[in-house]
Amino acid sequence: MTLSIQNLRSGYGKKEILHDVSIPTVKGGGFVGLIGPNASGKSTLFKTLAGLVSPTAGSIIIGTDDITHLHRKGRARRIAYMPQAFGCNALLTVFESVLLALKQTTGWRVKDENLERVSDTLSALNLSHLANRGISDLSGGQAQMVAVAQTIVRSPEVILLDEPTSALDLHHQLSILTSIRNEMDRKKPVIMAALHDLNLAAKFCDRLVLLRDGIILADGAPEHILGLSEIGETYRVKTELEYTKRGSIYVDARLSA
Amino acid sequence: MITDLTTAQMRQAYGSQTARRYTMIVIVSGLLLLSFFLDIATGPGKYSLSTVLQVFTDPLSHGVRLKVIVWDYRLPVAITAVLVGALLAVAGAQMQTILNNPLAEPFTLGVSAAASFGASLAIVLGVSVIPAIGPFLVTANAFVFAVLTCGFILMATRLKGVGSETMILFGIAIFFTFSALLALMQYMASEDQIARIVFWMMGSLSRASWEKISLGALLLSIAIPFSLLRTWPMTALRMGEATAESMGVDVSRLRVEMLICISLLAATAVSFVGTVGFVGLVGPHIARLLVGEDQRFFVPLSALVGALVLSLTSLISKSITPGVIYPIGIITSLIGVPVFISIILSTRREKLS
Repeated sequence: MTLSIQNLRSGYGKKEILHDVSIPTVKGGGFVGLIGPNASGKSTLFKTLAGLVSPTAGSIIIGTDDITHLHRKGRARRIAYMPQAFGCNALLTVFESVLLALKQTTGWRVKDENLERVSDTLSALNLSHLANRGISDLSGGQAQMVAVAQTIVRSPEVILLDEPTSALDLHHQLSILTSIRNEMDRKKPVIMAALHDLNLAAKFCDRLVLLRDGIILADGAPEHILGLSEIGETYRVKTELEYTKRGSIYVDARLSA
Repeated sequence: MITDLTTAQMRQAYGSQTARRYTMIVIVSGLLLLSFFLDIATGPGKYSLSTVLQVFTDPLSHGVRLKVIVWDYRLPVAITAVLVGALLAVAGAQMQTILNNPLAEPFTLGVSAAASFGASLAIVLGVSVIPAIGPFLVTANAFVFAVLTCGFILMATRLKGVGSETMILFGIAIFFTFSALLALMQYMASEDQIARIVFWMMGSLSRASWEKISLGALLLSIAIPFSLLRTWPMTALRMGEATAESMGVDVSRLRVEMLICISLLAATAVSFVGTVGFVGLVGPHIARLLVGEDQRFFVPLSALVGALVLSLTSLISKSITPGVIYPIGIITSLIGVPVFISIILSTRREKLS
């Protein structure tokens, strides 16, 4: 499965946020990191792809289907979007909260296959020990993992993750991104994640897209993108690209004087 | 202790959780049935449950007098208690979900205050909102004002950028506005009219009639399937608006649909029996504690618990002083206050832990 975005324009009311955004074919089993400073249009791009914001121009294509104007429910079957984390005080167990994500698009009655899908997803993400816990009792990291489970339980063709590692400790950052990569290897969806940590982006993504003020500045392999002078300009810092002994990319950043 | 569960164990746990919930629904239904017949048995003349059941199956088994008492006097009151309790609790449960606020209910959102004003308008000035309504003047006025209020809240939700907190504030504003208008009507009223207004506001089941019962039952038989069809999106809404939207739920449309449904339920209940506070709060709260917030169980159980609470209230209102039937509005509020406080305290504990 592939995703491609052509000349997309979108925004809120009269205010245009995304100006002519194109991201050429992303293949299934590819992990695209969307990078750029705050208010560069990352969330708006995701919301437009997920159908929560209507584009004013351009098209979104999955495989050979133009889904630009597909209604919300139909789109939710193909694209799963994980918004930035929020707390919630509902009296639901983790199992129920993942089940309800699946049930939005699979009919009213709970079938055995639904329960199987939920328990398989929880096992795959190593969340089985939390299955019967209340979601309001979870830690930030656990809640974020449950949100990932809610996203991948639907086996979507495209997964959009808005800052999946924000506010998480190092262990949880790595375990979330590793679970996402595992899912990618298993089912080959297109994955796009908005990431603030450029080193994590370099470590996990196959391709990086740099966004600033609703315009795409660069698009390519991490080692290429992170070495560009535009990175420094966009984030208003000085950057140097280094390689660690084990071959990982490390972006060394300082405030430009 | 952290133990990884196998996929089979997880499914089994979910299965037994579901079984427990069905059991809960059966238990509350049983209690409701018991309370319903006790309610019929209790009154100025007390009868045994078995006598009531016999009159129920064979109206003339204990003579015409008992048939009239059971079938014509007590049955409509007992059914009205059950119906209105269910209507208020379902309305409260849905309001709490769409406004994401455990304190939302017809009373706190000003629907009851608006209905009271409508009723007082009819009592004091004899002004009818619907022409030629005759004996239903007071009820019809109350209904129209309750629906208008819900309509106002509904319109407010459609304004851009109005969140659930703002809607609660709107409700409070409505509450105060109509309370002031009501005070004005009382100021203008004669002594006799004041007595009627006060009695109306206290909430009473003595206004039961078969016409009202059939209308209420009809509404409930539409509202429950209507809500059940939307249980998955409504449960998703409990995860937060952004999460529900990301799952494909059209949140603003869902809100409007549910508010229309709630308006009719709340307006009907309030215009039938007057101001009955806290059933819309207590019913859903107890249901939530018993079965959690999967709306497939939460909504029906809220209806059952609400019905049980009001049915018990009706029973208590006749049992305190022999021969006297206290207005139910007074009793629900007296039971409601301790529950209300416990809700506030338990939410504070959640934040502390």
